Amino acid sequence: MTVFKFSLKRSFSNKTNLLLLTLFPIAFIFFPEGEYWPVLPYGYQYFGIVLLFISIRLTTIILVDRAKGVVKRLAVAPISYGSYLCQNLLAFSVILVMQCAIVVYGGVLLGVELYQPHWLMLLYVSFSFTSLAIALAWISIFRSKESAFLIYMSLVTLLAILGGLLMPLQIFPEALIRIAVLFPTYWLNQGMSWIASEGSVGDFILINGVLWLYTIIFMILGSTRKIH
Amino acid sequence: MTIASMRGVVKRYGSYVALDSIDLDIHAGEIIGLLGPNGAGKTTLIGTLTGMRPFDHGTVELFGQSKHPFSHENKEKIGLVTQEITIFEELTAKENLQFFAGVYGLKGEVRKQKVREVLEFVGLSDQANKLPTKFSGGMKRRLNIACALTHSPSFLIMDEPTVGIDPQSRNYILEGVKRLRDRGTTILYTTHYIEEIEAIASRVIIMDQGQIIKEGTPADLIQTIQHEEKVSFEVTDPERIPEGSLEKIAGVRRVLTAGNDITVISDAGSGNLDRMLSIIKEHTGVLGIQTERPNLEDVFFTLTGRQLRDKGEEQ
Ligand SMILES: Nc1ncnc2c1ncn2[C@@H]1O[C@H](COP(=O)(O)OP(=O)(O)OP(=O)(O)O)[C@@H](O)[C@H]1O
Ligand SMILES: [Mg+2]
Repeated sequence: MTVFKFSLKRSFSNKTNLLLLTLFPIAFIFFPEGEYWPVLPYGYQYFGIVLLFISIRLTTIILVDRAKGVVKRLAVAPISYGSYLCQNLLAFSVILVMQCAIVVYGGVLLGVELYQPHWLMLLYVSFSFTSLAIALAWISIFRSKESAFLIYMSLVTLLAILGGLLMPLQIFPEALIRIAVLFPTYWLNQGMSWIASEGSVGDFILINGVLWLYTIIFMILGSTRKIH
Repeated sequence: MTIASMRGVVKRYGSYVALDSIDLDIHAGEIIGLLGPNGAGKTTLIGTLTGMRPFDHGTVELFGQSKHPFSHENKEKIGLVTQEITIFEELTAKENLQFFAGVYGLKGEVRKQKVREVLEFVGLSDQANKLPTKFSGGMKRRLNIACALTHSPSFLIMDEPTVGIDPQSRNYILEGVKRLRDRGTTILYTTHYIEEIEAIASRVIIMDQGQIIKEGTPADLIQTIQHEEKVSFEVTDPERIPEGSLEKIAGVRRVLTAGNDITVISDAGSGNLDRMLSIIKEHTGVLGIQTERPNLEDVFFTLTGRQLRDKGEEQ
Protein backbone atom coordinates (compact mmCIF):
# COMPACT_ATOMS: atom_id res chain seq x y z
CA MET A 1 0.00 0.00 0.00
CA THR A 2 2.97 2.30 -0.51
CA VAL A 3 1.32 4.15 -3.38
CA PHE A 4 -1.84 4.66 -1.31
CA LYS A 5 0.07 6.04 1.63
CA PHE A 6 2.16 8.41 -0.40
CA SER A 7 -0.80 9.47 -2.48
CA LEU A 8 -2.45 10.69 0.73
CA LYS A 9 0.75 12.40 1.74
CA ARG A 10 1.13 14.08 -1.62
CA SER A 11 -2.49 15.22 -1.62
CA PHE A 12 -1.93 17.16 1.58
CA SER A 13 1.59 18.26 0.74
CA ASN A 14 1.03 21.85 -0.35
CA LYS A 15 -0.71 24.63 1.53
CA THR A 16 -3.36 25.27 -1.11
CA ASN A 17 -4.47 21.68 -1.05
CA LEU A 18 -4.36 21.51 2.71
CA LEU A 19 -6.69 24.50 2.88
CA LEU A 20 -8.90 23.22 0.11
CA LEU A 21 -9.31 19.84 1.69
CA THR A 22 -10.03 21.03 5.22
CA LEU A 23 -11.33 24.57 5.75
CA PHE A 24 -12.98 24.95 2.36
CA PRO A 25 -15.67 22.26 2.83
CA ILE A 26 -16.29 23.37 6.39
CA ALA A 27 -17.12 26.85 5.12
CA PHE A 28 -19.94 25.34 3.06
CA ILE A 29 -21.75 24.27 6.20
CA PHE A 30 -22.34 27.91 7.06
CA PHE A 31 -23.95 29.02 3.79
CA PRO A 32 -27.49 30.35 4.30
CA GLU A 33 -30.76 28.73 3.29
CA GLY A 34 -32.69 29.90 0.25
CA GLU A 35 -36.26 31.05 0.48
CA TYR A 36 -37.89 29.06 -2.34
CA TRP A 37 -34.83 27.46 -3.86
CA PRO A 38 -32.77 25.37 -3.28
CA VAL A 39 -34.37 22.73 -1.09
CA LEU A 40 -31.21 22.32 0.96
CA PRO A 41 -29.09 25.25 2.17
CA TYR A 42 -26.94 26.83 -0.54
CA GLY A 43 -23.75 25.25 0.77
CA TYR A 44 -25.22 21.80 0.31
CA GLN A 45 -26.72 22.65 -3.05
CA TYR A 46 -23.27 23.73 -4.27
CA PHE A 47 -21.30 20.98 -2.57
CA GLY A 48 -21.42 18.82 -5.71
CA ILE A 49 -19.38 21.48 -7.48
CA VAL A 50 -16.83 21.32 -4.66
CA LEU A 51 -16.57 17.57 -5.14
CA LEU A 52 -15.97 17.98 -8.87
CA PHE A 53 -13.35 20.60 -8.16
CA ILE A 54 -11.52 18.64 -5.50
CA SER A 55 -11.55 15.54 -7.70
CA ILE A 56 -9.55 17.24 -10.41
CA ARG A 57 -7.11 18.63 -7.85
CA LEU A 58 -6.53 15.14 -6.54
CA THR A 59 -6.29 13.27 -9.83
CA THR A 60 -3.76 15.81 -11.08
CA ILE A 61 -1.27 13.69 -9.15
CA ILE A 62 -1.73 10.95 -11.71
CA LEU A 63 -1.44 13.42 -14.57
CA VAL A 64 1.85 14.72 -13.19
CA ASP A 65 3.17 11.18 -12.71
CA ARG A 66 2.35 10.39 -16.33
CA ALA A 67 3.82 13.57 -17.71
CA LYS A 68 7.02 13.24 -15.67
CA GLY A 69 7.56 9.61 -16.61
CA VAL A 70 7.08 8.29 -13.08
CA VAL A 71 4.42 5.93 -14.37
CA LYS A 72 6.89 4.58 -16.90
CA ARG A 73 9.51 4.18 -14.21
CA LEU A 74 7.01 2.22 -12.15
CA ALA A 75 6.46 -0.07 -15.13
CA VAL A 76 9.93 -1.42 -14.36
CA ALA A 77 9.08 -1.95 -10.69
CA PRO A 78 7.20 -4.96 -9.35
CA ILE A 79 3.86 -3.17 -9.28
CA SER A 80 1.17 -3.30 -11.93
CA TYR A 81 -0.36 -0.22 -13.46
CA GLY A 82 -3.74 -1.38 -12.18
CA SER A 83 -2.46 -1.51 -8.64
CA TYR A 84 -0.88 1.93 -8.96
CA LEU A 85 -4.17 3.33 -10.24
CA CYS A 86 -6.35 1.58 -7.65
CA GLN A 87 -4.21 2.69 -4.75
CA ASN A 88 -4.31 6.29 -5.92
CA LEU A 89 -8.06 6.19 -6.46
CA LEU A 90 -8.53 4.62 -3.06
CA ALA A 91 -6.59 7.45 -1.44
CA PHE A 92 -8.64 10.06 -3.31
CA SER A 93 -11.86 8.28 -2.34
CA VAL A 94 -10.93 8.30 1.31
CA ILE A 95 -10.32 12.04 1.10
CA LEU A 96 -13.57 12.72 -0.74
CA VAL A 97 -15.65 10.58 1.60
CA MET A 98 -14.11 12.45 4.52
CA GLN A 99 -15.16 15.73 2.95
CA CYS A 100 -18.70 14.47 2.58
CA ALA A 101 -18.76 13.32 6.18
CA ILE A 102 -17.43 16.66 7.43
CA VAL A 103 -20.07 18.59 5.55
CA VAL A 104 -23.04 16.32 6.31
CA TYR A 105 -22.35 15.41 9.92
CA GLY A 106 -20.78 18.76 10.70
CA GLY A 107 -24.08 20.22 9.54
CA VAL A 108 -26.05 17.81 11.70
CA LEU A 109 -23.93 18.73 14.68
CA LEU A 110 -24.58 22.42 14.13
CA GLY A 111 -28.28 21.86 13.68
CA VAL A 112 -28.60 22.50 9.95
CA GLU A 113 -31.90 21.11 8.60
CA LEU A 114 -30.83 18.29 6.27
CA TYR A 115 -34.03 16.19 6.42
CA GLN A 116 -32.37 12.77 5.98
CA PRO A 117 -28.62 13.26 6.57
CA HIS A 118 -27.65 9.58 6.15
CA TRP A 119 -29.26 9.43 2.74
CA LEU A 120 -27.62 12.72 1.86
CA MET A 121 -24.28 11.26 2.88
CA LEU A 122 -24.93 8.29 0.60
CA LEU A 123 -25.87 10.58 -2.28
CA TYR A 124 -22.73 12.69 -1.83
CA VAL A 125 -20.56 9.59 -1.69
CA SER A 126 -22.10 8.31 -4.92
CA PHE A 127 -21.50 11.65 -6.55
CA SER A 128 -17.91 11.75 -5.19
CA PHE A 129 -17.15 8.61 -7.11
CA THR A 130 -18.80 9.99 -10.22
CA SER A 131 -16.66 13.14 -9.89
CA LEU A 132 -13.53 11.12 -9.39
CA ALA A 133 -14.27 9.04 -12.46
CA ILE A 134 -15.00 12.12 -14.56
CA ALA A 135 -11.75 13.72 -13.41
CA LEU A 136 -9.79 10.56 -14.15
CA ALA A 137 -11.22 10.34 -17.66
CA TRP A 138 -10.55 14.04 -18.11
CA ILE A 139 -6.87 14.00 -17.16
CA SER A 140 -6.25 11.04 -19.44
CA ILE A 141 -6.62 13.31 -22.45
CA PHE A 142 -4.25 16.03 -21.26
CA ARG A 143 -0.54 16.39 -20.85
CA SER A 144 -0.36 19.67 -18.99
CA LYS A 145 -2.06 20.07 -15.66
CA GLU A 146 -2.73 23.76 -16.23
CA SER A 147 -4.74 23.31 -19.39
CA ALA A 148 -6.48 20.22 -18.01
CA PHE A 149 -7.54 22.22 -14.97
CA LEU A 150 -8.67 25.35 -16.80
CA ILE A 151 -10.80 23.60 -19.37
CA TYR A 152 -12.18 21.30 -16.72
CA MET A 153 -13.36 24.23 -14.65
CA SER A 154 -15.31 25.62 -17.60
CA LEU A 155 -16.81 22.19 -18.10
CA VAL A 156 -17.76 21.97 -14.44
CA THR A 157 -19.45 25.36 -14.60
CA LEU A 158 -21.44 24.21 -17.60
CA LEU A 159 -22.35 20.94 -15.90
CA ALA A 160 -23.37 22.81 -12.78
CA ILE A 161 -25.64 25.20 -14.67
CA LEU A 162 -27.19 22.68 -17.03
CA GLY A 163 -27.64 20.10 -14.30
CA GLY A 164 -29.54 22.64 -12.22
CA LEU A 165 -27.03 22.96 -9.38
CA LEU A 166 -26.43 26.68 -9.73
CA MET A 167 -29.95 27.85 -10.45
CA PRO A 168 -33.36 26.21 -10.64
CA LEU A 169 -33.86 24.17 -13.80
CA GLN A 170 -37.39 25.54 -14.19
CA ILE A 171 -36.09 28.83 -15.52
CA PHE A 172 -34.61 27.05 -18.57
CA PRO A 173 -36.49 26.34 -21.79
CA GLU A 174 -38.18 22.96 -22.08
CA ALA A 175 -35.60 21.61 -24.56
CA LEU A 176 -32.70 22.30 -22.22
CA ILE A 177 -34.43 20.63 -19.32
CA ARG A 178 -34.81 17.51 -21.41
CA ILE A 179 -31.08 17.50 -22.24
CA ALA A 180 -30.23 18.05 -18.58
CA VAL A 181 -31.10 14.40 -17.92
CA LEU A 182 -27.80 13.54 -19.61
CA PHE A 183 -25.67 15.25 -16.98
CA PRO A 184 -24.61 13.55 -13.75
CA THR A 185 -25.18 16.86 -11.98
CA TYR A 186 -28.88 16.62 -12.85
CA TRP A 187 -29.09 13.35 -10.95
CA LEU A 188 -27.34 14.80 -7.96
CA ASN A 189 -29.88 17.59 -8.04
CA GLN A 190 -32.72 15.09 -8.27
CA GLY A 191 -31.22 13.25 -5.33
CA MET A 192 -31.20 16.37 -3.21
CA SER A 193 -34.84 17.08 -4.05
CA TRP A 194 -35.62 13.52 -3.03
CA ILE A 195 -33.90 14.05 0.32
CA ALA A 196 -36.16 16.97 1.10
CA SER A 197 -39.33 15.39 -0.24
CA GLU A 198 -39.24 11.85 1.13
CA GLY A 199 -39.98 9.97 -2.08
CA SER A 200 -39.84 6.18 -2.39
CA VAL A 201 -36.58 4.36 -1.69
CA GLY A 202 -36.80 2.90 -5.19
CA ASP A 203 -36.49 6.37 -6.70
CA PHE A 204 -33.44 7.08 -4.58
CA ILE A 205 -31.82 3.82 -5.65
CA LEU A 206 -32.50 4.70 -9.27
CA ILE A 207 -30.88 8.12 -8.83
CA ASN A 208 -27.79 6.62 -7.22
CA GLY A 209 -27.79 3.87 -9.83
CA VAL A 210 -27.52 6.43 -12.61
CA LEU A 211 -24.59 8.10 -10.83
CA TRP A 212 -22.86 4.74 -10.49
CA LEU A 213 -23.45 4.00 -14.14
CA TYR A 214 -21.65 7.23 -15.00
CA THR A 215 -18.90 6.29 -12.56
CA ILE A 216 -18.33 2.96 -14.28
CA ILE A 217 -18.33 4.45 -17.77
CA PHE A 218 -15.86 7.21 -16.90
CA MET A 219 -13.67 4.86 -14.86
CA ILE A 220 -13.31 2.61 -17.87
CA LEU A 221 -12.54 5.56 -20.13
CA GLY A 222 -10.02 6.94 -17.66
CA SER A 223 -8.18 3.78 -16.78
CA THR A 224 -7.72 2.23 -20.21
CA ARG A 225 -5.45 5.07 -21.17
CA LYS A 226 -2.14 3.97 -19.78
CA ILE A 227 1.05 5.79 -20.53
CA HIS A 228 1.73 8.66 -22.87
CA MET B 1 26.28 -16.24 -15.96
CA THR B 2 24.12 -14.37 -18.41
CA ILE B 3 21.99 -11.71 -16.75
CA ALA B 4 20.16 -10.52 -19.80
CA SER B 5 20.09 -11.21 -23.48
CA MET B 6 18.27 -9.94 -26.53
CA ARG B 7 17.87 -11.85 -29.78
CA GLY B 8 16.76 -10.22 -32.99
CA VAL B 9 14.80 -7.55 -31.18
CA VAL B 10 13.02 -5.15 -33.50
CA LYS B 11 11.12 -2.09 -32.31
CA ARG B 12 9.23 0.23 -34.63
CA TYR B 13 7.57 3.55 -33.97
CA GLY B 14 5.10 3.60 -36.81
CA SER B 15 7.25 2.95 -39.84
CA TYR B 16 10.43 4.20 -38.15
CA VAL B 17 12.71 1.35 -37.09
CA ALA B 18 14.13 2.38 -33.72
CA LEU B 19 15.75 -0.99 -32.98
CA ASP B 20 16.92 -3.02 -35.92
CA SER B 21 17.46 -6.64 -34.92
CA ILE B 22 19.41 -6.20 -31.70
CA ASP B 23 21.48 -9.11 -30.37
CA LEU B 24 22.99 -8.55 -26.98
CA ASP B 25 24.32 -10.51 -24.00
CA ILE B 26 25.05 -9.08 -20.61
CA HIS B 27 27.08 -11.15 -18.17
CA ALA B 28 27.21 -10.99 -14.41
CA GLY B 29 29.68 -8.48 -13.02
CA GLU B 30 30.17 -6.46 -16.19
CA ILE B 31 29.94 -2.73 -16.59
CA ILE B 32 28.73 -2.32 -20.12
CA GLY B 33 29.05 1.08 -21.66
CA LEU B 34 26.32 1.67 -24.20
CA LEU B 35 27.51 4.43 -26.46
CA GLY B 36 25.66 6.20 -29.21
CA PRO B 37 24.62 9.63 -30.49
CA ASN B 38 21.24 11.24 -29.84
CA GLY B 39 18.45 9.16 -31.29
CA ALA B 40 20.58 6.04 -31.68
CA GLY B 41 17.98 4.01 -29.80
CA LYS B 42 19.68 3.60 -26.42
CA THR B 43 16.64 4.50 -24.36
CA THR B 44 14.45 2.38 -26.59
CA LEU B 45 16.79 -0.57 -26.11
CA ILE B 46 16.58 -0.15 -22.35
CA GLY B 47 12.82 0.15 -22.58
CA THR B 48 12.46 -3.15 -24.41
CA LEU B 49 15.00 -4.86 -22.18
CA THR B 50 13.05 -3.94 -19.06
CA GLY B 51 9.56 -4.59 -20.35
CA MET B 52 8.69 -0.91 -20.31
CA ARG B 53 8.06 -0.86 -24.05
CA PRO B 54 6.57 -3.66 -26.08
CA PHE B 55 8.59 -4.69 -29.13
CA ASP B 56 7.68 -6.09 -32.53
CA HIS B 57 10.02 -9.05 -32.98
CA GLY B 58 12.62 -11.09 -31.21
CA THR B 59 13.08 -12.34 -27.66
CA VAL B 60 14.32 -10.93 -24.41
CA GLU B 61 15.67 -13.14 -21.68
CA LEU B 62 16.25 -11.94 -18.11
CA PHE B 63 17.91 -14.03 -15.43
CA GLY B 64 17.52 -17.12 -17.57
CA GLN B 65 13.82 -16.65 -18.18
CA SER B 66 12.58 -16.07 -21.68
CA LYS B 67 8.92 -17.03 -21.22
CA HIS B 68 8.12 -14.47 -18.54
CA PRO B 69 11.18 -12.25 -18.46
CA PHE B 70 9.27 -9.35 -16.91
CA SER B 71 7.84 -11.19 -13.93
CA HIS B 72 7.68 -9.27 -10.67
CA GLU B 73 10.34 -11.58 -9.34
CA ASN B 74 12.72 -10.49 -12.08
CA LYS B 75 11.76 -6.85 -11.79
CA GLU B 76 12.81 -6.90 -8.15
CA LYS B 77 16.35 -7.60 -9.30
CA ILE B 78 16.50 -4.69 -11.71
CA GLY B 79 17.12 -1.06 -10.94
CA LEU B 80 16.54 1.62 -13.54
CA VAL B 81 17.93 5.13 -13.47
CA THR B 82 15.78 6.95 -15.97
CA GLN B 83 17.13 9.51 -18.40
CA GLU B 84 14.52 12.02 -17.29
CA ILE B 85 14.45 12.90 -13.62
CA THR B 86 11.47 10.94 -12.35
CA ILE B 87 11.11 11.87 -8.72
CA PHE B 88 8.26 13.39 -6.74
CA GLU B 89 8.75 17.13 -6.30
CA GLU B 90 6.31 17.35 -3.40
CA LEU B 91 8.04 14.68 -1.33
CA THR B 92 11.35 15.09 0.48
CA ALA B 93 14.44 13.19 -0.65
CA LYS B 94 13.90 10.70 2.12
CA GLU B 95 10.23 10.23 1.32
CA ASN B 96 11.05 9.67 -2.34
CA LEU B 97 13.38 6.87 -1.34
CA GLN B 98 10.82 5.46 1.10
CA PHE B 99 8.32 5.39 -1.73
CA PHE B 100 10.53 3.45 -4.10
CA ALA B 101 11.75 1.15 -1.35
CA GLY B 102 8.13 0.47 -0.45
CA VAL B 103 7.15 -0.28 -4.02
CA TYR B 104 9.90 -2.90 -4.05
CA GLY B 105 8.45 -4.45 -0.92
CA LEU B 106 10.88 -3.18 1.70
CA LYS B 107 9.36 -2.58 5.12
CA GLY B 108 10.09 -1.33 8.59
CA GLU B 109 13.61 -1.37 9.93
CA VAL B 110 15.09 -2.81 6.72
CA ARG B 111 13.61 0.01 4.72
CA LYS B 112 14.84 2.64 7.15
CA GLN B 113 18.31 1.19 7.04
CA LYS B 114 18.36 0.98 3.24
CA VAL B 115 17.12 4.54 2.79
CA ARG B 116 19.83 5.81 5.12
CA GLU B 117 22.46 3.80 3.32
CA VAL B 118 21.46 4.99 -0.12
CA LEU B 119 21.29 8.64 0.98
CA GLU B 120 24.81 8.22 2.25
CA PHE B 121 25.86 6.53 -0.97
CA VAL B 122 24.78 9.43 -3.18
CA GLY B 123 25.93 12.03 -0.67
CA LEU B 124 22.53 13.46 0.18
CA SER B 125 22.36 12.56 3.88
CA ASP B 126 22.37 16.23 4.84
CA GLN B 127 19.52 16.99 2.47
CA ALA B 128 17.33 14.05 3.47
CA ASN B 129 14.44 16.16 4.69
CA LYS B 130 14.49 18.77 1.95
CA LEU B 131 12.23 18.93 -1.06
CA PRO B 132 13.85 18.32 -4.46
CA THR B 133 12.51 21.70 -5.60
CA LYS B 134 15.30 23.17 -3.46
CA PHE B 135 17.94 20.97 -5.09
CA SER B 136 20.52 21.80 -7.74
CA GLY B 137 20.44 19.82 -11.00
CA GLY B 138 23.25 17.57 -9.83
CA MET B 139 21.51 16.84 -6.53
CA LYS B 140 18.30 15.93 -8.33
CA ARG B 141 20.28 13.61 -10.57
CA ARG B 142 21.80 11.95 -7.55
CA LEU B 143 18.39 11.50 -5.96
CA ASN B 144 17.14 10.08 -9.26
CA ILE B 145 19.94 7.54 -9.08
CA ALA B 146 19.30 6.79 -5.43
CA CYS B 147 15.68 5.91 -6.19
CA ALA B 148 16.92 2.96 -8.25
CA LEU B 149 19.17 1.65 -5.49
CA THR B 150 17.06 1.16 -2.36
CA HIS B 151 16.16 -2.42 -3.28
CA SER B 152 19.82 -3.35 -3.95
CA PRO B 153 19.30 -4.48 -7.56
CA SER B 154 21.73 -7.04 -8.94
CA PHE B 155 21.30 -5.54 -12.40
CA LEU B 156 21.45 -1.76 -12.59
CA ILE B 157 20.58 0.13 -15.75
CA MET B 158 21.61 3.77 -15.93
CA ASP B 159 20.32 5.87 -18.80
CA GLU B 160 22.56 8.93 -19.12
CA PRO B 161 22.79 9.46 -15.37
CA THR B 162 25.29 12.30 -15.64
CA VAL B 163 23.73 14.45 -18.32
CA GLY B 164 23.96 18.16 -17.57
CA ILE B 165 25.69 18.02 -14.21
CA ASP B 166 28.84 19.51 -12.75
CA PRO B 167 32.16 17.60 -12.91
CA GLN B 168 32.19 17.07 -9.17
CA SER B 169 28.82 15.34 -9.10
CA ARG B 170 29.85 13.37 -12.15
CA ASN B 171 32.99 12.02 -10.52
CA TYR B 172 30.97 11.19 -7.45
CA ILE B 173 28.56 9.19 -9.58
CA LEU B 174 31.29 7.39 -11.52
CA GLU B 175 33.03 6.43 -8.29
CA GLY B 176 29.72 5.16 -6.99
CA VAL B 177 29.21 3.03 -10.07
CA LYS B 178 32.59 1.44 -9.55
CA ARG B 179 31.78 0.73 -5.91
CA LEU B 180 28.54 -0.95 -6.97
CA ARG B 181 30.44 -3.09 -9.42
CA ASP B 182 32.85 -4.09 -6.67
CA ARG B 183 29.85 -5.28 -4.68
CA GLY B 184 28.86 -7.51 -7.57
CA THR B 185 26.25 -5.39 -9.35
CA THR B 186 26.01 -5.81 -13.11
CA ILE B 187 25.66 -2.44 -14.79
CA LEU B 188 24.46 -1.21 -18.15
CA TYR B 189 25.61 2.38 -18.47
CA THR B 190 24.40 4.66 -21.21
CA THR B 191 26.06 7.87 -22.17
CA HIS B 192 27.48 9.89 -24.96
CA TYR B 193 30.47 10.93 -22.95
CA ILE B 194 33.45 8.88 -24.08
CA GLU B 195 35.53 9.71 -21.03
CA GLU B 196 32.98 8.11 -18.74
CA ILE B 197 33.00 4.90 -20.73
CA GLU B 198 36.79 4.83 -20.81
CA ALA B 199 36.85 5.34 -17.05
CA ILE B 200 34.47 2.59 -15.99
CA ALA B 201 33.34 0.19 -18.73
CA SER B 202 34.64 -3.33 -19.04
CA ARG B 203 32.89 -3.67 -22.39
CA VAL B 204 31.59 -1.14 -24.85
CA ILE B 205 28.64 -1.44 -27.17
CA ILE B 206 28.38 1.20 -29.84
CA MET B 207 24.95 1.91 -31.26
CA ASP B 208 23.90 3.97 -34.21
CA GLN B 209 20.56 4.27 -35.98
CA GLY B 210 18.99 1.39 -34.11
CA GLN B 211 21.83 -1.03 -34.67
CA ILE B 212 24.76 -2.29 -32.66
CA ILE B 213 27.66 -1.46 -34.91
CA LYS B 214 30.55 -2.57 -32.75
CA GLU B 215 31.32 -4.14 -29.41
CA GLY B 216 34.37 -5.10 -27.39
CA THR B 217 36.59 -3.88 -24.58
CA PRO B 218 37.64 -0.24 -24.87
CA ALA B 219 41.21 -1.33 -25.55
CA ASP B 220 40.13 -3.76 -28.26
CA LEU B 221 38.05 -1.17 -30.03
CA ILE B 222 40.84 1.34 -30.02
CA GLN B 223 43.18 -1.40 -31.24
CA THR B 224 41.02 -1.90 -34.32
CA ILE B 225 41.76 1.64 -35.40
CA GLN B 226 45.41 1.68 -34.40
CA HIS B 227 46.20 1.24 -38.05
CA GLU B 228 44.93 4.76 -38.49
CA GLU B 229 46.30 8.20 -37.90
CA LYS B 230 44.40 11.28 -37.04
CA VAL B 231 45.52 14.79 -37.85
CA SER B 232 43.61 17.98 -37.14
CA PHE B 233 44.28 21.26 -38.91
CA GLU B 234 43.06 24.57 -37.67
CA VAL B 235 42.65 26.78 -40.73
CA THR B 236 41.48 30.32 -41.40
CA ASP B 237 38.81 29.48 -43.96
CA PRO B 238 37.95 25.83 -44.55
CA GLU B 239 35.33 26.76 -47.16
CA ARG B 240 38.01 27.69 -49.63
CA ILE B 241 39.43 24.20 -49.85
CA PRO B 242 37.78 22.53 -52.86
CA GLU B 243 35.37 19.78 -51.96
CA GLY B 244 36.95 16.32 -52.10
CA SER B 245 40.51 17.49 -52.69
CA LEU B 246 41.74 16.04 -49.37
CA GLU B 247 39.82 12.81 -49.79
CA LYS B 248 41.67 12.18 -53.06
CA ILE B 249 45.04 11.94 -51.33
CA ALA B 250 46.37 8.40 -51.09
CA GLY B 251 45.76 6.81 -47.69
CA VAL B 252 43.03 9.22 -46.56
CA ARG B 253 39.96 7.49 -45.13
CA ARG B 254 37.75 10.24 -43.85
CA VAL B 255 37.67 14.01 -43.62
CA LEU B 256 35.55 15.97 -41.17
CA THR B 257 35.10 19.72 -41.05
CA ALA B 258 33.74 21.39 -37.96
CA GLY B 259 34.06 25.13 -37.57
CA ASN B 260 37.64 26.01 -38.40
CA ASP B 261 38.90 22.50 -37.72
CA ILE B 262 39.54 19.90 -40.37
CA THR B 263 40.17 16.40 -39.09
CA VAL B 264 41.67 13.82 -41.41
CA ILE B 265 41.93 10.10 -40.71
CA SER B 266 44.42 8.15 -42.78
CA ASP B 267 45.94 4.70 -42.92
CA ALA B 268 48.85 4.41 -40.54
CA GLY B 269 52.20 5.17 -42.10
CA SER B 270 50.80 6.61 -45.30
CA GLY B 271 53.12 9.58 -44.90
CA ASN B 272 50.67 11.96 -46.50
CA LEU B 273 50.88 14.81 -44.02
CA ASP B 274 53.05 16.84 -46.37
CA ARG B 275 50.64 16.39 -49.22
CA MET B 276 47.65 17.40 -47.07
CA LEU B 277 49.40 20.45 -45.76
CA SER B 278 50.37 21.68 -49.19
CA ILE B 279 46.82 21.33 -50.51
CA ILE B 280 45.40 23.21 -47.54
CA LYS B 281 48.04 25.94 -47.72
CA GLU B 282 47.35 26.39 -51.40
CA HIS B 283 43.82 27.65 -50.54
CA THR B 284 43.87 29.02 -47.01
CA GLY B 285 46.02 29.79 -43.98
CA VAL B 286 47.00 27.15 -41.44
CA LEU B 287 46.80 28.21 -37.78
CA GLY B 288 47.75 24.95 -36.16
CA ILE B 289 48.30 21.24 -36.61
CA GLN B 290 47.62 18.51 -34.09
CA THR B 291 48.06 14.75 -34.18
CA GLU B 292 46.11 12.75 -31.63
CA ARG B 293 46.05 9.31 -30.16
CA PRO B 294 42.85 7.63 -31.24
CA ASN B 295 40.12 7.19 -28.61
CA LEU B 296 36.62 5.68 -28.61
CA GLU B 297 35.28 8.82 -30.23
CA ASP B 298 37.48 8.04 -33.21
CA VAL B 299 36.24 4.47 -33.27
CA PHE B 300 32.74 5.80 -33.68
CA PHE B 301 33.87 8.31 -36.25
CA THR B 302 35.71 5.69 -38.28
CA LEU B 303 32.68 3.43 -38.25
CA THR B 304 30.06 6.02 -39.15
CA GLY B 305 31.82 9.05 -40.54
CA ARG B 306 30.04 11.16 -37.95
CA GLN B 307 30.95 12.67 -34.63
CA LEU B 308 29.33 11.17 -31.54
CA ARG B 309 28.43 14.58 -30.23
CA ASP B 310 28.02 17.81 -32.07
CA LYS B 311 31.07 19.97 -31.71
CA GLY B 312 30.44 22.63 -29.13
CA GLU B 313 27.78 20.65 -27.29
CA GLU B 314 28.18 21.46 -23.61
CA GLN B 315 29.95 18.93 -21.44
N1 LIG C 1 7.57 7.28 -28.25
C1 LIG C 1 8.17 7.46 -29.44
N2 LIG C 1 7.46 7.63 -30.57
C2 LIG C 1 8.06 7.81 -31.76
N3 LIG C 1 9.38 7.85 -31.94
C3 LIG C 1 10.16 7.68 -30.86
C4 LIG C 1 9.61 7.49 -29.56
N4 LIG C 1 10.62 7.35 -28.68
C5 LIG C 1 11.75 7.46 -29.40
N5 LIG C 1 11.49 7.66 -30.72
C6 LIG C 1 12.48 7.79 -31.79
O1 LIG C 1 13.29 6.65 -31.77
C7 LIG C 1 14.65 7.00 -31.97
C8 LIG C 1 15.48 6.47 -30.83
O2 LIG C 1 15.14 7.18 -29.65
P1 LIG C 1 15.84 6.91 -28.27
O3 LIG C 1 15.19 7.79 -27.27
O4 LIG C 1 15.85 5.45 -28.00
O5 LIG C 1 17.31 7.41 -28.56
P2 LIG C 1 18.53 7.59 -27.57
O6 LIG C 1 19.67 6.85 -28.13
O7 LIG C 1 18.12 7.26 -26.19
O8 LIG C 1 18.82 9.14 -27.70
P3 LIG C 1 19.28 10.21 -26.59
O9 LIG C 1 20.76 10.13 -26.50
O10 LIG C 1 18.85 11.52 -27.18
O11 LIG C 1 18.57 9.89 -25.33
C9 LIG C 1 14.69 8.50 -32.11
O12 LIG C 1 14.77 8.82 -33.48
C10 LIG C 1 13.38 8.96 -31.54
O13 LIG C 1 12.94 10.10 -32.23
MG1 LIG D 1 17.98 8.26 -24.45
